[in-house]
Amino acid sequence: MDEFQSGEEIVFVVDDINTIVKDAVETTIGNNNYQQSRIHQWTSSVVETSLNQLSKLGKPFKYIVTCIILQKNGAGLHTASSCFWDSTMDGSCIVRWENKTTLCVVNVFGLAV
Amino acid sequence: MEEYSGDEVSFNSDEASVSVKECIENIIGGVDYNQNKVNQWTASIVEHSLTQLVKQGRPFKFIVNCAIMQKSGAGLHTANSCYWDTATDGSCTVRWENRTMYCVVSVFAVAVTL
Repeated sequence: MDEFQSGEEIVFVVDDINTIVKDAVETTIGNNNYQQSRIHQWTSSVVETSLNQLSKLGKPFKYIVTCIILQKNGAGLHTASSCFWDSTMDGSCIVRWENKTTLCVVNVFGLAV
Repeated sequence: MEEYSGDEVSFNSDEASVSVKECIENIIGGVDYNQNKVNQWTASIVEHSLTQLVKQGRPFKFIVNCAIMQKSGAGLHTANSCYWDTATDGSCTVRWENRTMYCVVSVFAVAVTL
């Protein structure tokens, strides 16, 4: 006799996502300096770890995680996103993280199924 | 149990690629990196690309992401990971450059179940 209020679970919760992603980045890069030989591993690891944790949340969402890692060299970087979706249920969250030599920007998009 | 409904069900990444390349060319075609304008450029590129994609009239939700970086010797690495229905959803990434900057545009298309 349980009635599921489907309104409750289908909301993109930014705070949870924020924490998940920050942890993924900290664990992967942490205090390491930018290293060209490891960068490939790092980007893969950040997106995979984040995605694994997100799917564990068990919400009815499809997820897209993108990660940009940039060496701090004085270069300018500018990013923008535009989304065509259902604004009542879908959402996104951006996490910027940096250390002395590396800048990391992770974007998570969640689309309700 | 696959029904071949042919036309509009899966994401055509080649078409999207062509569409996006044109948008980029039109907006930053022959210009040099300019810190004052880069804001406008990224916004224009994502808006125009999105408009073109939506015009195709397919049952998809879209996400368009654009990154513009000045060429100054710095290393840049990007990665994407997606948790979706691989039969109907798809993505495409377009990399473009000129003498002074790199532009990377990613398009993600997620099918809408009606």
